[in-house]
Amino acid sequence: MTEIIDQHQEGKRDVTFRVFRFNPQVDSKPYFDDYTISAERGITVLRSLNYIKEHVDATLSFRAFCQAGICGSCGMRVNGISKLACTSQVWDELDKCREPGIIRVEPLRSLPMIKDLIVDMDPLVDKMTRYSNWVDSTMPLDEMGKKEFLISEEEFQQYDKATDCILCASCVSECSILRANKEYVSPAVLLKSYRMNVDSRDGIHDLRLAELVKDHGVWDCTHCYRCQESCVKSIPIMEAIHAIREDALEKRGPRDTSGAKHAEAFMEDIEKKGKLVEATLPIRTNGVVWTLRNLLPMAMKMIVKRRTPPPPPLVKSAKGIKIFRAMFREMTEHVKQDHLKSHKK
Amino acid sequence: MKPFDIVIVGGGGAGLYAAMEAMKTNPALNIAVLSKVYPNRSHTSAAQGGANAALANKAKDDTVEMHIFDTIKGSDYLADQDAVEVLCSEAPKIIRELENIGTPWSRMEDNTIAQRPFGGAGRPRCCYCADKTGHTILQTLYEQCLRKGVLFFNEYFALNLSVHGSRSRGLIAMNMKSGKVEAFPAKTVIFATGGYAKMYWNRSSNAAGNTGDGQAIAYRAGIPMKDMEFVQFHPTGLRKSGLLVTEGARGEGGYLINKDGERFMARYAKEKMELGPRDLVSRSIETEILEGRGFDSPAGKYIHLDLRHLGADLIKSRLPQIREMSLNFEGVDPIEEPIPIRPTAHYSMGGIDTDNFGRTVMDGVYAAGECACVSVHGANRLGGNSLLDILVFGRIAGHTAAEEAGKFEPGSISEEELRESVDDIRSRMQPSGHYERYGALREELGQTLALNVGIFRESSLLHKGIHDIGELKDRFKKVRVFDSSDVFNTNLQQVLELQNMLDLAETVAVGALAREESRGSHTRIDFPVRDDEKWHKHTLATLVDGKATPGEKPVTMGRYELQERTY
Ligand SMILES: Cc1cc2nc3c(=O)[nH]c(=O)nc-3n(C[C@H](O)[C@H](O)[C@H](O)COP(=O)(O)OP(=O)(O)OC[C@H]3O[C@@H](n4cnc5c(N)ncnc54)[C@H](O)[C@@H]3O)c2cc1C
Ligand code: SF4
Ligand code: SF4
Ligand code: FES
Repeated sequence: MTEIIDQHQEGKRDVTFRVFRFNPQVDSKPYFDDYTISAERGITVLRSLNYIKEHVDATLSFRAFCQAGICGSCGMRVNGISKLACTSQVWDELDKCREPGIIRVEPLRSLPMIKDLIVDMDPLVDKMTRYSNWVDSTMPLDEMGKKEFLISEEEFQQYDKATDCILCASCVSECSILRANKEYVSPAVLLKSYRMNVDSRDGIHDLRLAELVKDHGVWDCTHCYRCQESCVKSIPIMEAIHAIREDALEKRGPRDTSGAKHAEAFMEDIEKKGKLVEATLPIRTNGVVWTLRNLLPMAMKMIVKRRTPPPPPLVKSAKGIKIFRAMFREMTEHVKQDHLKSHKK
Repeated sequence: MKPFDIVIVGGGGAGLYAAMEAMKTNPALNIAVLSKVYPNRSHTSAAQGGANAALANKAKDDTVEMHIFDTIKGSDYLADQDAVEVLCSEAPKIIRELENIGTPWSRMEDNTIAQRPFGGAGRPRCCYCADKTGHTILQTLYEQCLRKGVLFFNEYFALNLSVHGSRSRGLIAMNMKSGKVEAFPAKTVIFATGGYAKMYWNRSSNAAGNTGDGQAIAYRAGIPMKDMEFVQFHPTGLRKSGLLVTEGARGEGGYLINKDGERFMARYAKEKMELGPRDLVSRSIETEILEGRGFDSPAGKYIHLDLRHLGADLIKSRLPQIREMSLNFEGVDPIEEPIPIRPTAHYSMGGIDTDNFGRTVMDGVYAAGECACVSVHGANRLGGNSLLDILVFGRIAGHTAAEEAGKFEPGSISEEELRESVDDIRSRMQPSGHYERYGALREELGQTLALNVGIFRESSLLHKGIHDIGELKDRFKKVRVFDSSDVFNTNLQQVLELQNMLDLAETVAVGALAREESRGSHTRIDFPVRDDEKWHKHTLATLVDGKATPGEKPVTMGRYELQERTY
């Protein structure tokens, strides 16, 4: 790591890392430490953290393993966005700082804190288990290894992108629903569930789907797209979520779960007003108490940040509901096209 | 803790396959898998190329027999031929089995598993999933283990084997989340902790944790290491990090250029130029650097991999991964600038000495995967044979341990033994007086290995290497842990990993000094030819009185006679 301190013809830039610190054994609450180093071009956030750990403060704790963007260990928030520290260039981050020259580094959100930048991944593993994120093969045990399933290129394309997921939990940290409801299935787990459900070798599609439409499942997603925007592997997660929903409506009909209530509410909105009354959706799906307890605190924050949809009275029926319906249809078509495209690399 | 029947150390491809197979062999067994990282983070995920199996999907005339021959020849005739036979004949079955349980292999037009050509193979038999083969295999295995309810102890760091007489009674490990040192009494222990090539530190393509922990633990327990001197170098590692730029870059027509602007491969491989075999290209680059025709930088000397003449379009469409790597880890866009590269330590052929069933010399202790040396790779591993190795021998070790666990008494580990491990750790955690920084030692270890126990070896260099390692080991005694926290003490973990690397580094250097010949990845300037008469055998390194003591073991021959290895 000496290259950071050594003189180098490529030039260096001074940078302060403002790092989230928390050691549950001694700290009653988290705080930030500033570390200033000079970084040459090509240095990643992870290498800088390694440098700080080796030369400045050995107690700074974070996970890292492959250092090549493939193992998913080093997910953290850099300048407020969840991403991999090992693939983030310091010089690029310097251009994105809110305070000039200061890069903020914080742990992922929505997972229990352990220490400094380390969060507990067990809840995610538990959810992978709950939603059967595996292929339950239809190949009889005594036939295993004797022959191949024949799989078409088209089928492979359906889950090719989804199998890029490295379980880094960046999307988990960015998901808006998870921040309010920790029991929510999680975008990465939805993605994996989708991947299993379109695999023709799997024999428990219906069982998985039945779990997905229950409370905290696929219908709770608010379509905010944040997961997809933050995915470190640029996986079209929303396509997977849409696909599960379409599948659920097709296979299970609209009436059996809170999810279906959500879907009904969705349709009703479109029919009546030509717009999605997002603010009332959670209430109608989950009931008033749940919404007050879980979503209100977040909604308040979102209002402050002007991110929340307008409250119901402000949502007027869209002018020309027919035009809207046509647009809606076109949009659905678009989504489908995108879906196809995005699965063909 | 209730005694286990099997404790598996490592959650990479080898460890997970062992777990699945052990459960299948005897569902009544009490099995645990320990891993210092979540299993899906293991280094198996880094393998891009693929896994070899003579499925004959692509080349209809491919046979297991040809795979066997390619492997033996590739090993420079140091592999044990009976072991290679197991590896290659099990290959089609295990690849299909992986397919059956959900691995998303890329497909051929007739919907069978796709295969492509790979270095050293006479037929295109490398099965792949795009450029993420290891990743998807590891995900599939992890998913299946979750399905079967395998008991995982994630983020547990293995410290020691508890040894009584000629057998092990289990394992001692630290729970990273709590810092507690815990006992895992067990009838059998399987090591599947991956490779040790990270001891070359910034000159290695490996994950930070490929520090040879399992090998070091076994070595300290008196189990011999085999063929440790064989470390494979990949020609194109990034200058700063050692991370791999895959063969694709040269395959598409990239040039290797020295500081005088020459395409220097013309000197070493007139016809094949940049596309010569890995070891040859590595040696050529290293020669350029040694003879002063490399570029200079604080991160060390290097040469250029130039892709600019290929044009932006081709680079973007055919080599997007390589461009991204170069941007992410060097800050260099290959469309505009050449990529700074140099050879990087990539794979460890050597490891814990096992038989074809994964058994070590110690009762109840087994090993599989890159941490073991069966040996199927001999002096040089073929691309695509390592994933195969971890799957085939992971499964075999799991099976053997499950069958044999009943033979052994339930293990027990005394409080006293546990306390010893704790005291050992505590003594490191009191910073006082003069101390050494682990970071500096780690880097110096990498440097001395790359310089003296690297691609070109020679008696005086190796003596220097051994001397340096000894000195580093002395200085290590003064390394202190500054993080006093029990919770997730990565400072402590990295110090313990350094200790493991230091112990093993000695065996690599001692083996390299002993082996007075050039074979496969091991090149001695002072002994430039293969010497079958004296050195057609495995080297062993056993810890005796704190020193690596050399030994040897014959190579098992079979159908194939010794031949010169030419391509
Ligand atoms: C960049 C790269 C590309 C490669 N490409 C290919 C390829 O295309 N084809 C091919 O065949 N091979 C390839 N290889 C080699 C291959 O990937 C490895 O040899 C193989 O994956 C090793 O698997 P493993 O199961 O033995 O160990 P790993 O996957 O390394 O797993 C080791 C496990 O042990 C655990 N562990 C280690 N120490 C401890 C400890 N102290 N306590 C607890 N747990 C511990 C780790 O947590 C981990 O789970 C490549 C290697 C690299 C570096
Ligand atoms: S789109 Fe759905 S899953 Fe994705 S972040 Fe938003 S709420 Fe979460
Ligand atoms: S979906 Fe993307 S962001 Fe989410 S865990 Fe997987 S790779 Fe990470
Ligand atoms: S360290 Fe593996 S993804 Fe960053």
